[in-house]
Amino acid sequence: MSTAGVAMVECRSVLPDGSLLTVTAARRPRAGRAEVKCQAPGDTRLPERMQEVVRLARHTETRFDSRDQVVISIDRVPAASDRDWELAVVLADRMVRGLWQAPRAAVVANGWSDAWHLGRIEGHAVQDAPPGTLLGGPDGLAHLGQLAGHPDRAASVSSARAWFPLHAGGAADSLCWVEVSVHPLSQGRDEGPADEEQTIAVPGQDAARQLAVRQALAGAREFDGRAAGRWRTTVRFGESGFQGRSFELALVLADRMARGREFLPRARLIATGQSQAWHAGQVDTVEGVAPKCALLLREAAPGDRILLPQAWQAALPEGFGERLRALGASVACVERIGII
Amino acid sequence: MLGLFKRATPVADACELGRTAVALPLYSGCGMPPGCPVVVVDGRGSTRRPAPAKRIELREGELAFAFHPGPYTVDLQPFAQAPEIGLRTSFAIDNLDPNAAHHRFDLYLASEVAGRLALDALAGAVEAAVQRELREGGLDLPPCATIEEWNAFRLGLNQLLYMRFGLSVDDCVPVDLGASRDYAAMLVARAQACPAQAAAAPARVCAFDAAEPTLVDARALRRLFLELPGVMCGLRLAALPASPEQFRQQQALLQRLDLLCVGASTMPALGLAAPGQPLHIDEQLRRARHSRRATASLDEAWALLARLKGASPDLLAPLYDECDRIVANLEADCAGRRCPREEVAA
Repeated sequence: MSTAGVAMVECRSVLPDGSLLTVTAARRPRAGRAEVKCQAPGDTRLPERMQEVVRLARHTETRFDSRDQVVISIDRVPAASDRDWELAVVLADRMVRGLWQAPRAAVVANGWSDAWHLGRIEGHAVQDAPPGTLLGGPDGLAHLGQLAGHPDRAASVSSARAWFPLHAGGAADSLCWVEVSVHPLSQGRDEGPADEEQTIAVPGQDAARQLAVRQALAGAREFDGRAAGRWRTTVRFGESGFQGRSFELALVLADRMARGREFLPRARLIATGQSQAWHAGQVDTVEGVAPKCALLLREAAPGDRILLPQAWQAALPEGFGERLRALGASVACVERIGII
Repeated sequence: MLGLFKRATPVADACELGRTAVALPLYSGCGMPPGCPVVVVDGRGSTRRPAPAKRIELREGELAFAFHPGPYTVDLQPFAQAPEIGLRTSFAIDNLDPNAAHHRFDLYLASEVAGRLALDALAGAVEAAVQRELREGGLDLPPCATIEEWNAFRLGLNQLLYMRFGLSVDDCVPVDLGASRDYAAMLVARAQACPAQAAAAPARVCAFDAAEPTLVDARALRRLFLELPGVMCGLRLAALPASPEQFRQQQALLQRLDLLCVGASTMPALGLAAPGQPLHIDEQLRRARHSRRATASLDEAWALLARLKGASPDLLAPLYDECDRIVANLEADCAGRRCPREEVAA
């Protein structure tokens, strides 16, 4: 049996009547058996569909390990027409092999898809899911790569996420995501808007935040000099009740990733920083070194990339870099964005 | 006539060598293109480099290639999702020691190249290997890479290309490909081409299933037969064990690879379930799928050898685990290729 991953995980899903169904995934040596085995109490059709979903979703992975058998069992049988459990099964299969680490202990996920082999999640059926539920579909988790913020290779809309730390006085500190989606603007036909800032939409935020986002993005695009008039942009935030401009570095890097102009981290990109001069690609310092570093140490997962302003270099806690490296993440203090 | 005074035939397309073509096949009686080393592959797949002569004479079953040592410059795209950023890489084919017994590039020609090796094809193979390593964490090229991280990446890249293809990297710099590749236009084209199922990873699988299984399978088995001994040799040299426990692990791995070698060279014919009994086409496709997956494991094995080469002793343990995974995958796929029908097991 391989050493990566854990022995057993649970993942839940909301049923139409509001109760929870539990998916359990366990890993054991394969010993010549099938790579996935699925079980459901008193049903033969459901395990077949579960196995099909898991095998299709594994098409998007590059790494194959023939030493393990994953046994996935479901504790109740949903109605034959209900397919909202599919996402929970896929996530349980990834979690048990250590491919994805859930940010919180109890994962509740709802979503179905007809294109698991492309990693897409097409929708969810549940209406009143509890807060914190992972919901599949265009308005939530649209494809599996989004769990790490990566753009979908097969979609005609490119969107990327980056995370930034929010300091709310200790216990309530958390990571918040910002997502940049870019749609190609057809040039010539509608004579693309002259002003880059007019193509950037920030729904659900107040006017000051909208202005800050537009100015940061327009400045950063001026810096790389190739984006003018090519994209229509939508920016979304995980939450809106926060102060300050420390999200800017995360925003600018998510934009670069969405436009296909930045190297990709293996997992999430977490950044904090602002700038007075995005048109020069310069990164200025922000406040809150100690609490944000403590938060980053709590939240970092294998493969994450953490970017901090250069001015923090001297103020970092003792052994910060080494402890992150032990977690499998990497950190860099940057003065400018761009290649090297 | 003995043909002693016959003129050497010039090689077709010889002036493309070093520009769009890396290697060209030669036929008996061809002249050797000047400045281009020649590799002769015999019927059993072993290679030699004959001394320069006027004309090349081949025995029965032998193939010959002439290749240009380079240097070549190509733009690699390190991430499939980031088409506007690239690595401008220039490499040469390792030609320093003409007397060395085994050149990795010769093995690459013998086992993977059929006929002409175009520069595009080689660049595509290199790009796929780099993208795979970046996804799996064998190489690291994070956003806003510092100079130390870049140097570590370069070291890993050099090792990877040398181990996998026998290429030595002269120079590699990140470049902005925005001038030649427009991501916005690519996205528009993608949306128009096929809105329901765009060209994602499974396209590869579909393309394969439509192709002739016999040909794919024969190529895959040739690779297994020729490259497994090379992998074993590399493992012996690259992965020097740090403890008695690792020594035992290494011995066990070598033993399993040895059995795999034997298995690969005695593989049953694709189209026969038993002597005289033809096999159903679906099962043939399944067998070919297994052999193709085994070659994917071979690629992983070469990449792993490149990582093993520079690894410090305290990092060896996870690499040995990775090695175990690859060998287990190879065993599973070879067993799948061997058996005439899929075993149904829970």
